[in-house]
Amino acid sequence: MALPAPACGSRAEHRTQSLIRLGLSPGKWDILVALAGNPNVGKSTVFNALTGLRQHTGNWPGKTIVRAEGAFAHRGSRVKIVDLPGTYSLQAGSADEEVAREFILFGRPDVTVAVVDATRLERNLNLVLQILDITNRVVVYVNLMDEARRHGIAVDAARLERELGVPVVGGSARSGVGIDGLLDAAHGVATGRTRTTPFRLAQQAPGVEQAVGSLAEVVEEAFPGVPSSRWVAQRLLNADDAVAAAVRSGELGQLGDDDAVAEPVRSGDPSRRGEDHTGAAPPVPPAAARKRLLDAAQRLRWDLPADFHDTLMERTYGAAHDIAARAEARGLRKVGFNVDRTLDRLLTNRWLGFPLMLAILAAVFWITIEGANVPSGMLAALLIDAAHPVLKEAGDAVGLPWWLSGFLFDGVYLATAWVIAVMLPPMAIFFPIFTLLEDFGYLPRVAFNLDALFRKAGAHGKQALTMCMGFGCNAAGVVSTRVIDSPRERLIAIITNNFSLCNGRWPTQILIASIFIGALAPAHLAGLVSAAAVVAIAVLGIGAMFLASWFLSNTVLRGEATSFSLELPPYRPPRVLQTLYTSLIDRTLIVLWRAVVFAVPAGAVIWLSSNVTVGGASVAEHAVGWLDPLGLFIGLNGVILLAYVVAIPANEIVIPTVLMLTVLTAGGAAAGTGAGAGVMFELDSVAATGDLLRGGGWTLLTAVNLMLFSLLHNPCSTTIYTIYKETRSARWTTVASLLPVAMGLSVCFVVAQVWRLLG
Amino acid sequence: MPDPALALIVFGIAAAAAVVSFWPRIGLAPRLRRLLRLSERVLLEDAVKHIYTCERTGRVCSLESLAGRLEVSRTRAAALLSRLSVMRLARTGGAGPALTDDGRQSALRLVRTHRMWERYLADRTGVPAADWHDEAERMEHALSVDEVDALDTRLGHPRWDPHGDPIPTSTGDVPPDQGLGLAAAEPGRTVEILHLEDEPREIYDGLIRDGLVLGGRLDVVARTDGSVRVRSGGREWEIDTVAAGNVTVQYLPPGERAETSRTTLLDAAAGETVRVTAISRACQGTQRRRLLDLGVVRGTPITPELASAAGDPVAYRIRGALIALRRTQAAWIHVARAAAGDNDVSTHDVQEVA
Repeated sequence: MALPAPACGSRAEHRTQSLIRLGLSPGKWDILVALAGNPNVGKSTVFNALTGLRQHTGNWPGKTIVRAEGAFAHRGSRVKIVDLPGTYSLQAGSADEEVAREFILFGRPDVTVAVVDATRLERNLNLVLQILDITNRVVVYVNLMDEARRHGIAVDAARLERELGVPVVGGSARSGVGIDGLLDAAHGVATGRTRTTPFRLAQQAPGVEQAVGSLAEVVEEAFPGVPSSRWVAQRLLNADDAVAAAVRSGELGQLGDDDAVAEPVRSGDPSRRGEDHTGAAPPVPPAAARKRLLDAAQRLRWDLPADFHDTLMERTYGAAHDIAARAEARGLRKVGFNVDRTLDRLLTNRWLGFPLMLAILAAVFWITIEGANVPSGMLAALLIDAAHPVLKEAGDAVGLPWWLSGFLFDGVYLATAWVIAVMLPPMAIFFPIFTLLEDFGYLPRVAFNLDALFRKAGAHGKQALTMCMGFGCNAAGVVSTRVIDSPRERLIAIITNNFSLCNGRWPTQILIASIFIGALAPAHLAGLVSAAAVVAIAVLGIGAMFLASWFLSNTVLRGEATSFSLELPPYRPPRVLQTLYTSLIDRTLIVLWRAVVFAVPAGAVIWLSSNVTVGGASVAEHAVGWLDPLGLFIGLNGVILLAYVVAIPANEIVIPTVLMLTVLTAGGAAAGTGAGAGVMFELDSVAATGDLLRGGGWTLLTAVNLMLFSLLHNPCSTTIYTIYKETRSARWTTVASLLPVAMGLSVCFVVAQVWRLLG
Repeated sequence: MPDPALALIVFGIAAAAAVVSFWPRIGLAPRLRRLLRLSERVLLEDAVKHIYTCERTGRVCSLESLAGRLEVSRTRAAALLSRLSVMRLARTGGAGPALTDDGRQSALRLVRTHRMWERYLADRTGVPAADWHDEAERMEHALSVDEVDALDTRLGHPRWDPHGDPIPTSTGDVPPDQGLGLAAAEPGRTVEILHLEDEPREIYDGLIRDGLVLGGRLDVVARTDGSVRVRSGGREWEIDTVAAGNVTVQYLPPGERAETSRTTLLDAAAGETVRVTAISRACQGTQRRRLLDLGVVRGTPITPELASAAGDPVAYRIRGALIALRRTQAAWIHVARAAAGDNDVSTHDVQEVA
């Protein structure tokens, strides 16, 4: 090895720096694999098949937004695999594309596995060709071969391999077919045992070709011996800052095509890289030559045709078309039962589409509500009725002071137990069912049918789905907006998700409606009337969502970028067991964990506020006293407002907190009920709860306004935190938090005044 | 407890006042902000830009034209000019005001900021095309050189603004003007539109109403003293000479003609396969990139396959995938019916005219 060591070290250093910048921990591995592909090609399934890690994969374009990393061993090599966001191209037009492109270009993976969908080969090849343009180290995995066969399409992997000049493996990741072949091929390319000769577009469009040709000459003058002067010229004409910087500093040899295929195994471990490296560090050319090159690039750029991006895409797609045509056989006899078209006709039918959709969604909600009742009751009996007294006794037994036992068991424990009992069962039922519909491919059709409605409010049809998800849990609903790939519409969906009445709020609605609204009707209709009142509130929420969407898209979000597209993936038989498992892990448990994390401090605050006394009364009583004038003025009361302030972490504990505070402050008729200051409780009997509340001065107006305010108030802190994580913007988080409160206060105010005028 | 009726009235007035004050663009607060920006500095910068534009286009620049452009009195315009000469940005000499080298540099900076911002609005935001110019007029006085350079990097060093004007580079490099005014185009030739001058606003709006778009093609039918007669998309109309002077065009090689009819994807019947001839220039930025990424490029066969229950959007079979597009998007995609030739269309002979 005749190369100067420093150049080598700096090169390894360079890559380590790049990886850190790209958000990857530079751990120890022998082979770094990047997984790229279009949205919804089963990339994540491939990832799971390779790593065994259960990452949720759905029948949705664009599921993998947050890059996933995994590791495994293969033939004695430690392999690190990075799942890139699904993108249609590498043009760096969106944040996802930028991430994918940056990683392939500067993360310099040892091999990039491009996953393509055999049923849509041509569309997928567009991305593959763009990847081949920036790296030699590529293996193509043609996924969903079985599905393609069902649709009468066969892909000839060997032919495709000859066309593309890189290894091509066909298979089906769902059933694990072809995964071993993929591993071997990737290993071969990564170690340099397999030589690749990637397909590159031979010539640019006429106007571009001329500029590339003449600039390539200048590149060779400035950097004699640079491996691909044409590539450098192209990048410079594309105003690629990284390449321009490499020219300016003279380090050009480190970028571009220098990934000589014969290079031995490279390591992420910088200390090893120095020894492995065999490339020659080119001498740095004089500054004048480098400047001449950059000036020439600048000058030539003006001569490029204005629409050369369009032309480039045209040529790439032209090549993709030709290659696909040679590698696939279409129109074969379809294997098995192909129901796609029939189902689509039915589910998007002008007359049947909406009724079917309503029926399916109603069934999902019915199963959730019915199914959750029993386990919710059991959990409440176990955690609250049984475990809580036991804990208290145990605390007494070991001699805990009353305040510590109260703080721990009445405050922290009880709040957490309540959240789990109310929240867990519906989510554990709702999310898997929803995920099954998603995997099957029905949900994109719902978005398709409802888009016309949402478009009028400036929103995306997929918002219908994130809204439905919000009926389960708003935090999960906010996360699910990732499927909306247009920035403006996604923000609208995030900010308005709170208008979906989440399952933490349903119990409040049902309880208050049965006490105050059902009581207005004759006994045999009471159940129906109170149910109707709750449904009316949920429908009002949908109305508020449309109103807020329209308002946002016409005011604060007017300038955000928008790009509608909605891909309808083929129907796929859902995998029930896997779905149950992953939706439980991904959605239910993660959301539950976050809720618990927030419920703990809430329980503490509730207990403390009712037990810390200042000047003879507890902090809570003072607060209720301050809030009462405002609360009564807008048709609520101080207790409700305080309950909503301290119960920000979780809507589930609003009612227990309200009852506790009512007993604490009302005294009199209500005294004697409840479990003591700071101890949340619920009463077994609806009638007894009603008496308690009426004793606290509640009227029908209070009840109606509480139902409205429960719908229209700030999101719970779990949701607020999730919104912040998803938008990374304090501004939009603030809007999302304050907009519903402002609406709620205004609506309650107006209702109260009109009520008083008429009554 | 306050009187409910009174409370309602107070609330109603407050809500109405908030809407009137803060509604974007037409509210009082945005209006006030626009008025306030007409400060001395803004006027000076606009004056420099006006003189620069005159020099670039070879038009006569005078005290009158300056006063007219800035909408100020002649006295005020004269004061501005003498201020500029004190600042050594302009000279007032025999043939009207002219820029010094410093003046030209600062004019280029302003132009760069303006066009860069328009490019940014077109590429990265959803701000409608009609608002680009006004927004850029505001931002050109607000952005620093560093901010513009950062934007330049973020946008991938764009060369042209969305109206077809070159964006000067950070070193002030800008290519010589190309093309000629539509008013000077020879009858019988076919031209492609390179640039639509966006000032004055009334003329620009008129041109857009006439259906002119960047990259569009026109057959020049006849030319008289007062107007130019053009044909495109199966329609013939006259553009008066003043307006035609604001349209920069270039000749196309003889034999290439403007499109005779205008068929969009909306016209395709269910199940009928059509081929894309162009994506309208009205579709820019993220919207355009998305269509291109999905494989909607010249020559792509597209088949409408499935209408949603409400009729809009419609799902199209595009390169094997089923993609739903809204009506507004389908209207951007110009297509040719299959009868025009079923082979891989040689795509360069069919182009768009909107």
